[in-house]
Amino acid sequence: MAVADDALGRVVVAGERLLRPVENTLNFIAAVAVLFLMMLGVVQVVMRIRWLFAAPIYGYIDMIELAMPILAVLGISYAQRHGTHIRMEILILQLKGRVLWVIETFGSLVTLILIVLLTRFAWVFFHDAYLSGDSTTDALLLTWPSKLLVPMALAILSVRLLIQTIAGLRLVIDPTREPIGVVVPHDVAEQAREEIREALGEEGPQ
Amino acid sequence: MRNDGLLFGIGYEDPILVGVICIGLLFGLAVLGVRISFAAAISGFVGLVELIGLWPGATTAGSIPYAKTSLYSLSVLPPFILIGFLAFHAGMTTSLFDAGRKWLGWLPGGLAVATVFAQAGFGAVSGASTATAAVFSRIAIPEMLEFKYSKRLAAGVVAAGGTLATLIPPSAILVIYALVVEESVGKLLLAGFLPGLFSAVIYGAIIVGWASIYPDIGPPVRGFTWGQRLRSVPGVLPIFVVAMIIITAVYGGWATVTEAGALGAFVVLLLAFVHGMRTKELKDALMETAKLTVMIFTLIWGIFIFVTFLNFSTVPQAFSTWIVELPVHPYLILLAILLGYTILGMFMDAIGMLMVTLPIFYPAVMALNGGPGATPETSPFGLTPEQASIWFGIIVVKMAEVCLITPPIGLNCFVVNGVQPQISLPDVFRGVAIFFVADVITIAGLIMFPEIATFLPDVLGVR
Repeated sequence: MAVADDALGRVVVAGERLLRPVENTLNFIAAVAVLFLMMLGVVQVVMRIRWLFAAPIYGYIDMIELAMPILAVLGISYAQRHGTHIRMEILILQLKGRVLWVIETFGSLVTLILIVLLTRFAWVFFHDAYLSGDSTTDALLLTWPSKLLVPMALAILSVRLLIQTIAGLRLVIDPTREPIGVVVPHDVAEQAREEIREALGEEGPQ
Repeated sequence: MRNDGLLFGIGYEDPILVGVICIGLLFGLAVLGVRISFAAAISGFVGLVELIGLWPGATTAGSIPYAKTSLYSLSVLPPFILIGFLAFHAGMTTSLFDAGRKWLGWLPGGLAVATVFAQAGFGAVSGASTATAAVFSRIAIPEMLEFKYSKRLAAGVVAAGGTLATLIPPSAILVIYALVVEESVGKLLLAGFLPGLFSAVIYGAIIVGWASIYPDIGPPVRGFTWGQRLRSVPGVLPIFVVAMIIITAVYGGWATVTEAGALGAFVVLLLAFVHGMRTKELKDALMETAKLTVMIFTLIWGIFIFVTFLNFSTVPQAFSTWIVELPVHPYLILLAILLGYTILGMFMDAIGMLMVTLPIFYPAVMALNGGPGATPETSPFGLTPEQASIWFGIIVVKMAEVCLITPPIGLNCFVVNGVQPQISLPDVFRGVAIFFVADVITIAGLIMFPEIATFLPDVLGVR
């Protein structure tokens, strides 16, 4: 990881060091859940075959619904770090230096405010379910553990956005510094290279 | 419900004005590069607080990330995305292209036609347009160049053929459309099949026509015996197995779409292991699947916060009423909407564009069709509401895909140039131009003959 010799830079590097392993782990849990979801589907199909077992998994649909937040939110901060959440880049790609980082930092800041608010109110949603003992309709599984994942993941995303905001401010102050802790905008050619790497599992021409 | 207009002091005095302000806010934030999902959530949050007050608005917004993602119908997305990431490792691309070349090589421009159909076949195990273009840039372009095909044709066909993957099931974007407009996922998936094939046939016909006029750009490749042709078939069977699992499950009802997706992903995973995929590659594919899945789900809940607000603001209803009362033929309005998509597609990614625009345009198109009580006799398009909804979905998804091959973004063209740098970007864009013409013909065909989209879901009576 990059080294920084300025105060803000050190804050960003320290934050990254703490947050990255957490994000990687959460996304890895989501990745395992993808595999698990697939296997569960296969088992369900096999177990349901009438002349073979005729024993579908009890509460299969309820289980899947409760497991969805693992896939839907756990990796949200990991995706933010990698700049996976889509956006319009028509303006951003025209900008350079301080103006670019002012706009980017503004974006991080308003997103941070939103996510902090949503964390708070997703917590309310969880807390209501916890207090009322809310459960699924068929298998009567408790919903609160699953609902708790949302404010948890959003809280981690808030930390990521805070780091990105600080990292952005650092570049607003001095745009010549090496960018760390921010997503550097990619032009279309670079995005294409990224797509190729994902599709073929390696980079560049043959 | 409070009415004090907490933020702008407007509130329910003029909900439409609040709606317009927040739509403006969404586009303003999007232009400044705020992630689309968050831009939509911010605008929706602000709008909800303005219209129904801080606590009710904020708690509504806070419940959506869970409520709109913990749905069984959405659990089909992760296995579909996984199939896409594993498909290359399963090694089916080479056998598809090989079979295509032996069966179709004798046509004028035969290798290019073979590429189109191999890409359509690959679309049956992948929903990713750019990935399909990347894979075929690697295997089909060198072969075409070896047989003295023009660089432009070789590059153009691969860039354009990649877009076929999004219509042919499994298609993540059609699942998302189904979710946003509350239509059956199974129906949309099935509906994409014929239009995908239709599009491939138009591409094929254009290549044959072009190569007949200018034989130099794509000479036929002859000399394959029937024995060689038949021996190429077993190599493509796994593709048909996966496609059949998904289609027969949806049609026969022996499994839900999610289970079929899981089974399809499992088959592709086994094939990939047989083909020598390493554990490291599986882990990468799973991490990428998780990352892409969370991106799509974030987009879903972000947009739904916005949609919840929009419905309070009554903007969609007002827009529909306005459009229906316009003294213009519904087909012209439809064309105007589609043109709007072409322009928007120049600046925005396909999924983002659909999600942002559908909450407004979809109800308008449904109203144009005659609303919930429309019958084929009363509808200007001759479609029931359900048929119209499927038809419009297929058309907009095809539209969104066209943007992958047109400037200024044209990501597929950049992908081809990235894999085969000896073909310059201007050459790729020139080569793809003729396929843009093909796409215009396809879209015109889909508009004139909605049956191409609605036939399979109607006949197979999917729920």
